[in-house]
Amino acid sequence: MNSKNIENKSIRQAFANTLFDLAVKNPNIYVVDVGLRPSLYLDKFAARFKSRFIECGIAESNAAAVAAGLSASGKTVFLTSFACFSPALNWAVIKQSICYNRQNVKIVGSHAGLMSGDLGATHQMLEDVALMRTMPGMEVFVPIDEAEMVKMLPVVAHSPFPAYIRLPRISTPKVFPSKYPFTIGKSQLLSVGRDITVLGYGPILTQLFSDDFKKYSLDIINCSSIKPLDFETILKSIKKTGRCLVIEDHQKNGGLGDAIASLILSSRIKCKYIHLAVDDSFGQSAKNYFDLYHHFGLSPLAIIQSIKSLLSKS
Amino acid sequence: MILLPAKKSHPLSEQSRSLRLDILEMINTAGFGHIGGSLSSVDILISLYNTDIFNFDKDHFILSAGHICPALYAVLAQKNKFPREELLTYAQFGSRLQGHLNLDTPGVEYASGALGQGLSFACGLALGDKNHHTVCLTTDGEHDEGQIWEAIAFANKFHQGNLINIVDYNGYQLGGSTAEMMPLGELASKYLHFGWTVTTVDGHNFYELENALKKAKSSSIYPACIIAKTTFGKGISFMENKSEFHDVKNMPEDIYLAAKNELQKY
Repeated sequence: MNSKNIENKSIRQAFANTLFDLAVKNPNIYVVDVGLRPSLYLDKFAARFKSRFIECGIAESNAAAVAAGLSASGKTVFLTSFACFSPALNWAVIKQSICYNRQNVKIVGSHAGLMSGDLGATHQMLEDVALMRTMPGMEVFVPIDEAEMVKMLPVVAHSPFPAYIRLPRISTPKVFPSKYPFTIGKSQLLSVGRDITVLGYGPILTQLFSDDFKKYSLDIINCSSIKPLDFETILKSIKKTGRCLVIEDHQKNGGLGDAIASLILSSRIKCKYIHLAVDDSFGQSAKNYFDLYHHFGLSPLAIIQSIKSLLSKS
Repeated sequence: MILLPAKKSHPLSEQSRSLRLDILEMINTAGFGHIGGSLSSVDILISLYNTDIFNFDKDHFILSAGHICPALYAVLAQKNKFPREELLTYAQFGSRLQGHLNLDTPGVEYASGALGQGLSFACGLALGDKNHHTVCLTTDGEHDEGQIWEAIAFANKFHQGNLINIVDYNGYQLGGSTAEMMPLGELASKYLHFGWTVTTVDGHNFYELENALKKAKSSSIYPACIIAKTTFGKGISFMENKSEFHDVKNMPEDIYLAAKNELQKY
Protein backbone atom coordinates (compact mmCIF):
# COMPACT_ATOMS: atom_id res chain seq x y z
CA MET A 1 0.00 0.00 0.00
CA ASN A 2 1.36 3.35 -1.02
CA SER A 3 0.37 5.40 1.95
CA LYS A 4 3.53 7.32 2.72
CA ASN A 5 1.85 10.66 2.29
CA ILE A 6 -1.36 9.65 4.02
CA GLU A 7 -1.55 9.77 7.77
CA ASN A 8 -2.81 6.47 9.19
CA LYS A 9 -5.43 6.85 11.86
CA SER A 10 -6.98 4.41 14.28
CA ILE A 11 -10.63 3.60 13.76
CA ARG A 12 -10.76 2.20 17.29
CA GLN A 13 -9.48 5.49 18.71
CA ALA A 14 -12.02 7.37 16.63
CA PHE A 15 -14.73 5.07 17.96
CA ALA A 16 -13.74 5.71 21.58
CA ASN A 17 -13.42 9.48 21.13
CA THR A 18 -16.71 9.82 19.29
CA LEU A 19 -18.51 7.65 21.81
CA PHE A 20 -17.12 9.80 24.63
CA ASP A 21 -18.41 12.95 22.92
CA LEU A 22 -21.83 11.37 22.42
CA ALA A 23 -21.95 10.28 26.06
CA VAL A 24 -21.19 13.83 27.25
CA LYS A 25 -24.36 15.00 25.53
CA ASN A 26 -26.51 11.89 26.04
CA PRO A 27 -26.79 10.52 29.60
CA ASN A 28 -28.52 7.39 28.26
CA ILE A 29 -25.42 6.04 26.56
CA TYR A 30 -23.94 3.04 28.37
CA VAL A 31 -20.97 0.79 27.63
CA VAL A 32 -21.05 -2.89 28.58
CA ASP A 33 -17.52 -4.26 28.43
CA VAL A 34 -16.00 -7.74 28.79
CA GLY A 35 -12.55 -7.05 30.16
CA LEU A 36 -11.13 -5.34 27.06
CA ARG A 37 -11.41 -1.68 28.12
CA PRO A 38 -7.81 -0.71 27.24
CA SER A 39 -7.96 -2.46 23.85
CA LEU A 40 -10.94 -0.36 22.82
CA TYR A 41 -9.44 2.84 24.28
CA LEU A 42 -12.30 3.13 26.74
CA ASP A 43 -10.28 4.20 29.79
CA LYS A 44 -11.38 7.79 29.42
CA PHE A 45 -15.04 6.79 29.11
CA ALA A 46 -14.80 4.48 32.12
CA ALA A 47 -13.15 7.16 34.27
CA ARG A 48 -15.58 9.93 33.34
CA PHE A 49 -18.82 7.91 33.28
CA LYS A 50 -18.25 5.41 36.10
CA SER A 51 -21.90 4.44 36.49
CA ARG A 52 -22.39 4.10 32.75
CA PHE A 53 -19.42 1.83 32.15
CA ILE A 54 -20.49 -1.69 33.09
CA GLU A 55 -17.58 -4.09 33.37
CA CYS A 56 -18.82 -7.69 33.08
CA GLY A 57 -15.47 -9.45 33.13
CA ILE A 58 -14.64 -12.09 30.54
CA ALA A 59 -18.23 -13.26 30.16
CA GLU A 60 -19.66 -12.36 26.75
CA SER A 61 -22.94 -14.25 27.03
CA ASN A 62 -23.91 -12.57 30.28
CA ALA A 63 -22.75 -9.23 28.90
CA ALA A 64 -24.98 -9.47 25.82
CA ALA A 65 -28.09 -10.14 27.91
CA VAL A 66 -27.12 -7.52 30.52
CA ALA A 67 -26.84 -5.05 27.62
CA ALA A 68 -30.31 -6.12 26.45
CA GLY A 69 -31.74 -5.65 29.95
CA LEU A 70 -30.20 -2.19 30.22
CA SER A 71 -31.71 -1.34 26.86
CA ALA A 72 -35.11 -2.52 28.13
CA SER A 73 -34.79 0.13 30.84
CA GLY A 74 -34.38 2.78 28.15
CA LYS A 75 -30.62 3.01 27.68
CA THR A 76 -28.64 3.04 24.44
CA VAL A 77 -26.06 0.36 25.03
CA PHE A 78 -22.72 -0.28 23.33
CA LEU A 79 -21.52 -3.84 23.90
CA THR A 80 -17.78 -3.71 23.26
CA SER A 81 -15.41 -6.61 22.65
CA PHE A 82 -13.31 -8.30 20.00
CA ALA A 83 -15.37 -9.67 17.11
CA CYS A 84 -14.04 -13.18 17.74
CA PHE A 85 -15.77 -13.15 21.15
CA SER A 86 -18.78 -10.93 20.51
CA PRO A 87 -20.75 -11.62 18.27
CA ALA A 88 -19.11 -15.05 17.99
CA LEU A 89 -19.29 -16.64 21.46
CA ASN A 90 -22.61 -15.03 22.34
CA TRP A 91 -24.47 -15.36 19.05
CA ALA A 92 -27.51 -17.14 20.48
CA VAL A 93 -27.75 -14.57 23.28
CA ILE A 94 -27.70 -11.77 20.69
CA LYS A 95 -30.43 -13.60 18.79
CA GLN A 96 -32.79 -14.09 21.73
CA SER A 97 -32.04 -11.40 24.29
CA ILE A 98 -31.21 -8.57 21.87
CA CYS A 99 -32.89 -9.16 18.50
CA TYR A 100 -35.95 -11.26 19.39
CA ASN A 101 -36.54 -8.96 22.36
CA ARG A 102 -36.18 -5.89 20.09
CA GLN A 103 -33.51 -4.25 22.22
CA ASN A 104 -31.39 -1.32 21.16
CA VAL A 105 -27.90 -2.70 21.62
CA LYS A 106 -24.94 -1.76 19.43
CA ILE A 107 -22.46 -4.60 19.26
CA VAL A 108 -18.95 -3.36 18.58
CA GLY A 109 -16.58 -6.11 17.44
CA SER A 110 -12.99 -4.99 17.22
CA HIS A 111 -9.87 -6.70 15.85
CA ALA A 112 -11.92 -8.21 13.03
CA GLY A 113 -10.49 -9.84 9.93
CA LEU A 114 -6.97 -10.86 8.95
CA MET A 115 -5.89 -7.36 9.92
CA SER A 116 -5.49 -8.55 13.51
CA GLY A 117 -2.24 -10.03 12.18
CA ASP A 118 -0.01 -11.59 14.81
CA LEU A 119 -2.89 -12.76 17.02
CA GLY A 120 -3.53 -15.71 14.72
CA ALA A 121 -6.57 -17.70 13.64
CA THR A 122 -8.48 -17.73 16.94
CA HIS A 123 -8.61 -13.93 16.93
CA GLN A 124 -8.93 -13.27 13.21
CA MET A 125 -12.70 -13.11 13.07
CA LEU A 126 -13.66 -13.91 9.48
CA GLU A 127 -17.27 -14.97 10.02
CA ASP A 128 -18.81 -12.02 11.85
CA VAL A 129 -20.51 -10.37 8.88
CA ALA A 130 -22.12 -13.70 7.98
CA LEU A 131 -23.26 -14.24 11.57
CA MET A 132 -24.77 -10.78 11.84
CA ARG A 133 -26.28 -10.47 8.33
CA THR A 134 -28.44 -13.52 8.98
CA MET A 135 -29.83 -12.16 12.24
CA PRO A 136 -33.40 -10.81 11.86
CA GLY A 137 -33.59 -7.09 12.59
CA MET A 138 -29.83 -6.60 12.93
CA GLU A 139 -28.11 -3.82 11.01
CA VAL A 140 -24.46 -4.29 9.99
CA PHE A 141 -21.94 -1.51 9.50
CA VAL A 142 -18.20 -1.34 8.80
CA PRO A 143 -16.40 2.01 8.67
CA ILE A 144 -13.69 2.28 6.06
CA ASP A 145 -11.57 4.70 8.09
CA GLU A 146 -11.60 6.95 11.13
CA ALA A 147 -13.36 9.75 9.24
CA GLU A 148 -16.28 7.50 8.43
CA MET A 149 -16.30 6.16 11.99
CA VAL A 150 -16.77 9.70 13.28
CA LYS A 151 -19.68 10.22 10.88
CA MET A 152 -21.18 6.78 11.45
CA LEU A 153 -21.32 6.52 15.23
CA PRO A 154 -23.82 9.32 15.99
CA VAL A 155 -26.12 8.00 13.25
CA VAL A 156 -26.00 4.44 14.55
CA ALA A 157 -26.38 5.61 18.17
CA HIS A 158 -29.51 7.52 17.16
CA SER A 159 -31.06 4.56 15.32
CA PRO A 160 -33.51 2.56 17.50
CA PHE A 161 -32.44 -0.81 16.07
CA PRO A 162 -29.79 -3.30 17.15
CA ALA A 163 -26.62 -2.97 15.11
CA TYR A 164 -23.23 -4.58 14.64
CA ILE A 165 -20.21 -2.38 14.01
CA ARG A 166 -17.04 -4.14 12.82
CA LEU A 167 -13.74 -2.50 13.67
CA PRO A 168 -10.20 -3.39 12.57
CA ARG A 169 -7.24 -3.51 14.92
CA ILE A 170 -4.79 -1.46 12.92
CA SER A 171 -4.57 2.16 11.88
CA THR A 172 -5.56 2.81 8.29
CA PRO A 173 -5.27 5.59 5.71
CA LYS A 174 -8.04 8.14 5.39
CA VAL A 175 -10.05 7.85 2.19
CA PHE A 176 -13.57 8.86 3.24
CA PRO A 177 -14.28 12.35 1.89
CA SER A 178 -15.00 14.81 4.68
CA LYS A 179 -18.00 16.25 2.85
CA TYR A 180 -19.80 12.89 2.66
CA PRO A 181 -22.43 12.02 5.25
CA PHE A 182 -22.96 8.51 6.58
CA THR A 183 -26.49 7.29 5.92
CA ILE A 184 -27.91 3.92 6.94
CA GLY A 185 -28.68 1.93 3.80
CA LYS A 186 -26.53 4.14 1.54
CA SER A 187 -23.16 3.31 0.05
CA GLN A 188 -20.76 5.89 -1.32
CA LEU A 189 -18.92 6.04 -4.63
CA LEU A 190 -15.36 6.76 -3.56
CA SER A 191 -14.14 6.83 -7.14
CA VAL A 192 -16.07 7.01 -10.40
CA GLY A 193 -15.10 4.95 -13.43
CA ARG A 194 -16.67 3.05 -16.30
CA ASP A 195 -15.07 -0.43 -16.51
CA ILE A 196 -15.43 -2.29 -13.24
CA THR A 197 -17.60 -1.99 -10.13
CA VAL A 198 -15.45 -2.71 -7.09
CA LEU A 199 -17.41 -3.43 -3.93
CA GLY A 200 -16.18 -3.96 -0.40
CA TYR A 201 -16.14 -2.63 3.13
CA GLY A 202 -13.59 -1.69 5.73
CA PRO A 203 -9.94 -0.76 5.39
CA ILE A 204 -9.14 -3.48 2.83
CA LEU A 205 -10.71 -1.15 0.25
CA THR A 206 -8.11 1.54 0.98
CA GLN A 207 -5.60 -0.58 -0.96
CA LEU A 208 -7.32 0.61 -4.14
CA PHE A 209 -6.23 4.19 -3.61
CA SER A 210 -2.57 3.58 -4.39
CA ASP A 211 -0.94 4.71 -7.65
CA ASP A 212 -1.00 1.12 -8.96
CA PHE A 213 -4.74 1.40 -9.56
CA LYS A 214 -4.79 4.82 -11.23
CA LYS A 215 -4.64 3.42 -14.75
CA TYR A 216 -7.93 1.55 -14.29
CA SER A 217 -11.35 3.11 -14.59
CA LEU A 218 -13.11 1.84 -11.46
CA ASP A 219 -16.38 2.56 -9.68
CA ILE A 220 -15.23 1.98 -6.11
CA ILE A 221 -18.24 1.57 -3.87
CA ASN A 222 -17.86 1.62 -0.11
CA CYS A 223 -20.53 -0.73 1.26
CA SER A 224 -20.15 0.44 4.84
CA SER A 225 -23.84 -0.21 5.33
CA ILE A 226 -23.80 -3.94 4.65
CA LYS A 227 -27.29 -4.37 6.02
CA PRO A 228 -29.40 -2.64 4.90
CA LEU A 229 -27.50 -2.69 1.60
CA ASP A 230 -27.78 0.07 -1.01
CA PHE A 231 -29.21 -2.01 -3.87
CA GLU A 232 -29.90 1.04 -6.02
CA THR A 233 -26.36 2.44 -6.13
CA ILE A 234 -24.81 -1.00 -6.55
CA LEU A 235 -27.12 -2.12 -9.37
CA LYS A 236 -26.81 1.18 -11.19
CA SER A 237 -23.04 0.81 -11.25
CA ILE A 238 -23.03 -2.85 -12.28
CA LYS A 239 -25.50 -2.11 -15.10
CA LYS A 240 -23.04 0.51 -16.32
CA THR A 241 -19.81 -1.50 -16.06
CA GLY A 242 -21.00 -5.09 -16.60
CA ARG A 243 -18.11 -6.21 -14.40
CA CYS A 244 -18.16 -6.73 -10.66
CA LEU A 245 -15.35 -7.35 -8.20
CA VAL A 246 -16.14 -7.93 -4.51
CA ILE A 247 -13.28 -7.77 -2.01
CA GLU A 248 -13.61 -8.62 1.66
CA ASP A 249 -11.44 -9.47 4.63
CA HIS A 250 -13.90 -12.21 5.60
CA GLN A 251 -14.95 -15.72 4.63
CA LYS A 252 -16.35 -16.09 1.14
CA ASN A 253 -19.30 -17.97 2.62
CA GLY A 254 -21.95 -15.65 3.96
CA GLY A 255 -20.14 -12.40 3.35
CA LEU A 256 -20.94 -9.35 1.22
CA GLY A 257 -20.13 -11.33 -1.92
CA ASP A 258 -23.09 -13.63 -1.29
CA ALA A 259 -25.38 -10.64 -0.90
CA ILE A 260 -24.09 -9.09 -4.15
CA ALA A 261 -24.26 -12.36 -6.13
CA SER A 262 -27.81 -12.89 -4.98
CA LEU A 263 -28.70 -9.32 -5.94
CA ILE A 264 -27.18 -9.69 -9.41
CA LEU A 265 -28.95 -12.99 -10.09
CA SER A 266 -32.34 -11.81 -8.89
CA SER A 267 -31.99 -8.60 -10.94
CA ARG A 268 -31.18 -10.62 -14.08
CA ILE A 269 -28.19 -8.47 -14.89
CA LYS A 270 -25.50 -10.00 -17.06
CA CYS A 271 -22.07 -9.30 -15.63
CA LYS A 272 -18.66 -10.78 -15.04
CA TYR A 273 -18.11 -11.44 -11.36
CA ILE A 274 -15.09 -12.16 -9.14
CA HIS A 275 -15.22 -12.50 -5.36
CA LEU A 276 -11.97 -12.16 -3.44
CA ALA A 277 -12.25 -13.41 0.14
CA VAL A 278 -10.89 -16.08 2.44
CA ASP A 279 -12.04 -19.37 0.97
CA ASP A 280 -13.10 -21.79 3.69
CA SER A 281 -9.92 -21.63 5.73
CA PHE A 282 -8.59 -20.27 9.01
CA GLY A 283 -6.21 -17.35 9.27
CA GLN A 284 -2.74 -17.50 10.78
CA SER A 285 -0.22 -15.26 12.50
CA ALA A 286 1.88 -12.71 10.65
CA LYS A 287 3.75 -9.68 11.88
CA ASN A 288 2.39 -7.70 9.00
CA TYR A 289 -1.13 -8.27 7.72
CA PHE A 290 0.07 -7.53 4.15
CA ASP A 291 1.67 -10.97 4.22
CA LEU A 292 -1.70 -12.49 5.06
CA TYR A 293 -3.44 -10.51 2.32
CA HIS A 294 -0.82 -11.81 -0.08
CA HIS A 295 -1.25 -15.39 1.16
CA PHE A 296 -5.04 -15.32 0.90
CA GLY A 297 -5.18 -13.53 -2.45
CA LEU A 298 -6.38 -10.17 -1.15
CA SER A 299 -3.27 -8.08 -1.86
CA PRO A 300 -3.07 -5.26 -4.45
CA LEU A 301 -1.34 -7.75 -6.75
CA ALA A 302 -4.23 -10.21 -6.51
CA ILE A 303 -6.74 -7.41 -6.99
CA ILE A 304 -4.94 -6.21 -10.14
CA GLN A 305 -4.92 -9.76 -11.50
CA SER A 306 -8.66 -9.93 -10.97
CA ILE A 307 -9.14 -6.55 -12.65
CA LYS A 308 -7.16 -7.78 -15.66
CA SER A 309 -9.17 -10.96 -15.77
CA LEU A 310 -12.43 -9.03 -15.71
CA LEU A 311 -11.19 -6.72 -18.47
CA SER A 312 -10.03 -9.57 -20.72
CA LYS A 313 -12.21 -10.50 -23.70
CA SER A 314 -12.48 -14.19 -22.76
CA MET B 1 -41.45 -23.48 65.33
CA ILE B 2 -44.39 -21.55 63.93
CA LEU B 3 -47.26 -23.71 62.80
CA LEU B 4 -48.61 -22.43 59.52
CA PRO B 5 -52.25 -22.97 58.59
CA ALA B 6 -52.95 -25.83 56.21
CA LYS B 7 -52.37 -24.99 52.52
CA LYS B 8 -55.97 -25.66 51.49
CA SER B 9 -57.24 -22.83 53.62
CA HIS B 10 -55.14 -20.23 51.84
CA PRO B 11 -57.20 -17.80 49.74
CA LEU B 12 -55.04 -18.58 46.68
CA SER B 13 -55.68 -22.33 46.85
CA GLU B 14 -58.66 -22.13 44.52
CA GLN B 15 -56.52 -20.38 41.90
CA SER B 16 -53.91 -23.04 42.31
CA ARG B 17 -56.54 -25.58 41.25
CA SER B 18 -58.25 -23.61 38.47
CA LEU B 19 -55.03 -22.45 36.79
CA ARG B 20 -53.72 -26.02 36.81
CA LEU B 21 -56.83 -26.99 34.90
CA ASP B 22 -56.21 -24.10 32.47
CA ILE B 23 -52.67 -25.37 31.89
CA LEU B 24 -53.97 -28.87 31.19
CA GLU B 25 -56.62 -27.57 28.77
CA MET B 26 -54.07 -25.43 26.90
CA ILE B 27 -51.61 -28.26 26.51
CA ASN B 28 -54.30 -30.77 25.56
CA THR B 29 -55.80 -28.45 22.94
CA ALA B 30 -52.43 -27.53 21.46
CA GLY B 31 -51.31 -31.15 21.46
CA PHE B 32 -48.05 -29.85 22.84
CA GLY B 33 -46.63 -28.30 25.96
CA HIS B 34 -44.18 -28.45 28.85
CA ILE B 35 -46.47 -29.69 31.56
CA GLY B 36 -44.09 -30.87 34.31
CA GLY B 37 -42.43 -27.47 34.85
CA SER B 38 -45.64 -25.53 34.28
CA LEU B 39 -47.28 -27.40 37.15
CA SER B 40 -44.25 -27.06 39.42
CA SER B 41 -43.94 -23.29 38.87
CA VAL B 42 -47.56 -22.13 38.77
CA ASP B 43 -47.93 -21.55 42.52
CA ILE B 44 -44.83 -19.33 42.50
CA LEU B 45 -46.38 -17.25 39.70
CA ILE B 46 -49.76 -17.08 41.46
CA SER B 47 -48.02 -15.83 44.58
CA LEU B 48 -46.04 -13.20 42.64
CA TYR B 49 -49.06 -11.82 40.80
CA ASN B 50 -51.65 -12.03 43.58
CA THR B 51 -49.90 -10.50 46.57
CA ASP B 52 -49.32 -6.77 46.82
CA ILE B 53 -45.57 -7.21 47.32
CA PHE B 54 -44.82 -6.29 43.71
CA ASN B 55 -46.68 -4.26 41.13
CA PHE B 56 -45.67 -5.60 37.76
CA ASP B 57 -46.92 -2.49 36.01
CA LYS B 58 -43.77 -0.93 37.49
CA ASP B 59 -41.67 -3.75 38.89
CA HIS B 60 -40.32 -6.23 36.37
CA PHE B 61 -40.91 -9.95 35.99
CA ILE B 62 -38.60 -12.01 33.81
CA LEU B 63 -39.41 -15.64 33.13
CA SER B 64 -36.08 -17.12 32.13
CA ALA B 65 -37.42 -20.60 31.41
CA GLY B 66 -39.64 -19.80 28.43
CA HIS B 67 -40.87 -23.36 28.00
CA ILE B 68 -43.05 -23.17 31.11
CA CYS B 69 -45.03 -20.32 29.54
CA PRO B 70 -48.39 -22.13 29.90
CA ALA B 71 -48.20 -21.35 33.62
CA LEU B 72 -47.45 -17.68 32.96
CA TYR B 73 -50.17 -17.42 30.30
CA ALA B 74 -52.72 -18.88 32.75
CA VAL B 75 -51.72 -16.33 35.40
CA LEU B 76 -51.72 -13.39 32.97
CA ALA B 77 -55.18 -14.35 31.68
CA GLN B 78 -56.40 -14.55 35.25
CA LYS B 79 -55.03 -11.02 35.74
CA ASN B 80 -57.05 -9.94 32.66
CA LYS B 81 -54.01 -9.14 30.54
CA PHE B 82 -55.85 -10.87 27.68
CA PRO B 83 -59.13 -12.81 27.32
CA ARG B 84 -59.13 -16.20 29.01
CA GLU B 85 -60.48 -17.84 25.82
CA GLU B 86 -57.22 -16.92 24.13
CA LEU B 87 -55.44 -19.52 26.27
CA LEU B 88 -56.77 -22.19 23.94
CA THR B 89 -54.82 -20.65 21.04
CA TYR B 90 -51.54 -21.49 22.80
CA ALA B 91 -48.85 -22.64 20.33
CA GLN B 92 -51.25 -22.46 17.38
CA PHE B 93 -50.48 -20.73 14.12
CA GLY B 94 -51.07 -16.98 14.38
CA SER B 95 -51.48 -16.95 18.16
CA ARG B 96 -49.94 -14.34 20.44
CA LEU B 97 -49.32 -17.16 22.89
CA GLN B 98 -46.31 -18.80 21.29
CA GLY B 99 -44.81 -22.16 22.25
CA HIS B 100 -42.08 -20.22 23.98
CA LEU B 101 -42.48 -16.63 25.16
CA ASN B 102 -42.60 -13.68 22.81
CA LEU B 103 -43.17 -9.97 23.29
CA ASP B 104 -46.57 -9.86 21.59
CA THR B 105 -48.22 -11.43 24.62
CA PRO B 106 -49.60 -8.67 26.87
CA GLY B 107 -47.80 -8.72 30.20
CA VAL B 108 -44.69 -10.48 28.92
CA GLU B 109 -41.58 -8.39 29.46
CA TYR B 110 -38.94 -10.80 28.18
CA ALA B 111 -39.14 -13.37 25.39
CA SER B 112 -37.26 -16.47 26.48
CA GLY B 113 -36.80 -19.97 25.21
CA ALA B 114 -33.08 -20.68 25.16
CA LEU B 115 -32.22 -21.29 28.82
CA GLY B 116 -29.76 -19.38 30.95
CA GLN B 117 -30.25 -15.87 29.53
CA GLY B 118 -33.09 -14.45 31.61
CA LEU B 119 -31.13 -13.82 34.80
CA SER B 120 -28.54 -11.81 32.83
CA PHE B 121 -31.33 -9.78 31.24
CA ALA B 122 -32.83 -9.26 34.69
CA CYS B 123 -29.43 -8.03 35.96
CA GLY B 124 -29.29 -5.44 33.16
CA LEU B 125 -32.87 -4.34 33.79
CA ALA B 126 -32.33 -4.06 37.55
CA LEU B 127 -29.20 -2.00 36.90
CA GLY B 128 -31.02 0.33 34.53
CA ASP B 129 -34.12 0.71 36.71
CA LYS B 130 -32.95 0.98 40.31
CA ASN B 131 -36.27 2.49 41.41
CA HIS B 132 -38.08 -0.81 41.03
CA HIS B 133 -37.56 -4.49 41.68
CA THR B 134 -36.76 -7.05 39.03
CA VAL B 135 -37.91 -10.58 39.79
CA CYS B 136 -36.58 -13.46 37.72
CA LEU B 137 -37.83 -17.04 37.68
CA THR B 138 -35.28 -19.68 36.72
CA THR B 139 -35.25 -23.45 37.11
CA ASP B 140 -32.81 -25.82 38.74
CA GLY B 141 -32.08 -27.55 35.43
CA GLU B 142 -31.28 -24.17 33.91
CA HIS B 143 -28.36 -23.86 36.33
CA ASP B 144 -26.45 -26.28 34.08
CA GLU B 145 -25.90 -23.24 31.86
CA GLY B 146 -22.63 -21.41 32.54
CA GLN B 147 -24.22 -18.07 31.77
CA ILE B 148 -26.37 -18.34 34.91
CA TRP B 149 -23.21 -18.33 36.99
CA GLU B 150 -21.85 -15.33 35.10
CA ALA B 151 -25.05 -13.50 36.03
CA ILE B 152 -24.89 -14.62 39.67
CA ALA B 153 -21.37 -13.17 39.93
CA PHE B 154 -22.46 -9.98 38.16
CA ALA B 155 -25.38 -9.34 40.55
CA ASN B 156 -23.02 -9.62 43.50
CA LYS B 157 -20.47 -7.23 41.98
CA PHE B 158 -23.12 -4.57 41.37
CA HIS B 159 -24.83 -5.04 44.78
CA GLN B 160 -28.16 -5.63 43.10
CA GLY B 161 -30.45 -5.43 46.12
CA ASN B 162 -33.37 -4.82 43.77
CA LEU B 163 -32.87 -8.19 42.04
CA ILE B 164 -34.61 -11.40 43.10
CA ASN B 165 -34.06 -14.78 41.51
CA ILE B 166 -36.57 -17.49 42.31
CA VAL B 167 -35.37 -20.97 41.45
CA ASP B 168 -38.13 -23.44 40.69
CA TYR B 169 -36.28 -26.42 42.11
CA ASN B 170 -38.39 -29.30 40.83
CA GLY B 171 -35.51 -31.74 40.44
CA TYR B 172 -36.20 -32.76 36.85
CA GLN B 173 -35.34 -31.79 33.28
CA LEU B 174 -35.95 -33.24 29.84
CA GLY B 175 -33.44 -36.05 30.04
CA GLY B 176 -33.89 -37.14 33.64
CA SER B 177 -33.42 -35.85 37.18
CA THR B 178 -31.18 -32.81 37.59
CA ALA B 179 -29.15 -34.82 40.10
CA GLU B 180 -28.46 -37.37 37.39
CA MET B 181 -27.95 -34.93 34.48
CA MET B 182 -25.65 -32.49 36.28
CA PRO B 183 -25.73 -32.43 40.07
CA LEU B 184 -26.18 -28.94 41.53
CA GLY B 185 -24.89 -29.88 44.96
CA GLU B 186 -25.54 -27.37 47.69
CA LEU B 187 -27.23 -24.70 45.61
CA ALA B 188 -28.11 -22.52 48.59
CA SER B 189 -24.54 -22.35 49.82
CA LYS B 190 -23.29 -21.70 46.27
CA TYR B 191 -25.53 -18.62 46.11
CA LEU B 192 -24.38 -17.58 49.59
CA HIS B 193 -20.74 -17.82 48.58
CA PHE B 194 -21.50 -15.71 45.51
CA GLY B 195 -22.75 -12.98 47.86
CA TRP B 196 -26.51 -13.47 47.66
CA THR B 197 -29.06 -13.88 50.44
CA VAL B 198 -30.86 -17.19 50.20
CA THR B 199 -34.19 -18.47 51.47
CA THR B 200 -35.42 -21.98 50.84
CA VAL B 201 -39.16 -22.52 50.82
CA ASP B 202 -41.85 -25.00 49.86
CA GLY B 203 -42.77 -23.67 46.42
CA HIS B 204 -46.36 -24.85 46.76
CA ASN B 205 -46.98 -23.16 50.13
CA PHE B 206 -48.39 -19.66 49.64
CA TYR B 207 -47.55 -18.57 53.19
CA GLU B 208 -43.91 -19.51 52.82
CA LEU B 209 -43.70 -18.00 49.35
CA GLU B 210 -45.22 -14.68 50.50
CA ASN B 211 -42.89 -14.43 53.48
CA ALA B 212 -39.85 -15.18 51.34
CA LEU B 213 -40.87 -12.60 48.73
CA LYS B 214 -41.35 -9.93 51.42
CA LYS B 215 -37.97 -10.74 52.91
CA ALA B 216 -36.28 -10.71 49.50
CA LYS B 217 -37.85 -7.36 48.66
CA SER B 218 -36.49 -5.81 51.84
CA SER B 219 -32.86 -6.64 50.93
CA SER B 220 -30.88 -3.44 50.41
CA ILE B 221 -27.58 -4.33 48.76
CA TYR B 222 -27.65 -8.10 48.39
CA PRO B 223 -29.35 -9.82 45.49
CA ALA B 224 -31.85 -12.31 46.86
CA CYS B 225 -32.32 -15.91 45.86
CA ILE B 226 -35.42 -17.88 46.77
CA ILE B 227 -35.01 -21.59 46.26
CA ALA B 228 -38.54 -22.89 45.87
CA LYS B 229 -38.62 -26.63 46.35
CA THR B 230 -41.39 -27.87 44.15
CA THR B 231 -42.81 -31.08 42.74
CA PHE B 232 -42.41 -31.70 39.04
CA GLY B 233 -45.88 -32.26 37.56
CA LYS B 234 -47.52 -31.21 40.84
CA GLY B 235 -51.19 -32.16 41.10
CA ILE B 236 -51.28 -35.05 38.64
CA SER B 237 -50.03 -38.03 40.61
CA PHE B 238 -48.89 -40.13 37.66
CA MET B 239 -46.88 -37.20 36.20
CA GLU B 240 -45.19 -36.21 39.44
CA ASN B 241 -41.40 -36.63 39.41
CA LYS B 242 -41.38 -38.29 36.01
CA SER B 243 -39.09 -36.62 33.51
CA GLU B 244 -41.03 -38.11 30.58
CA PHE B 245 -43.70 -35.53 31.45
CA HIS B 246 -41.24 -32.66 30.87
CA ASP B 247 -43.25 -32.11 27.71
CA VAL B 248 -46.16 -33.93 26.15
CA LYS B 249 -47.16 -34.41 22.54
CA ASN B 250 -50.75 -35.24 21.60
CA MET B 251 -51.89 -36.36 25.01
CA PRO B 252 -53.95 -39.60 24.77
CA GLU B 253 -57.53 -39.03 25.86
CA ASP B 254 -57.38 -41.43 28.82
CA ILE B 255 -54.32 -39.60 30.16
CA TYR B 256 -56.05 -36.25 29.70
CA LEU B 257 -59.23 -37.39 31.43
CA ALA B 258 -57.35 -38.99 34.31
CA ALA B 259 -55.29 -35.80 34.74
CA LYS B 260 -58.40 -33.61 34.63
CA ASN B 261 -60.13 -35.81 37.16
CA GLU B 262 -57.23 -35.44 39.59
CA LEU B 263 -56.91 -31.68 39.12
CA GLN B 264 -60.62 -31.13 39.69
CA LYS B 265 -60.12 -32.59 43.15
CA TYR B 266 -56.81 -30.74 43.77
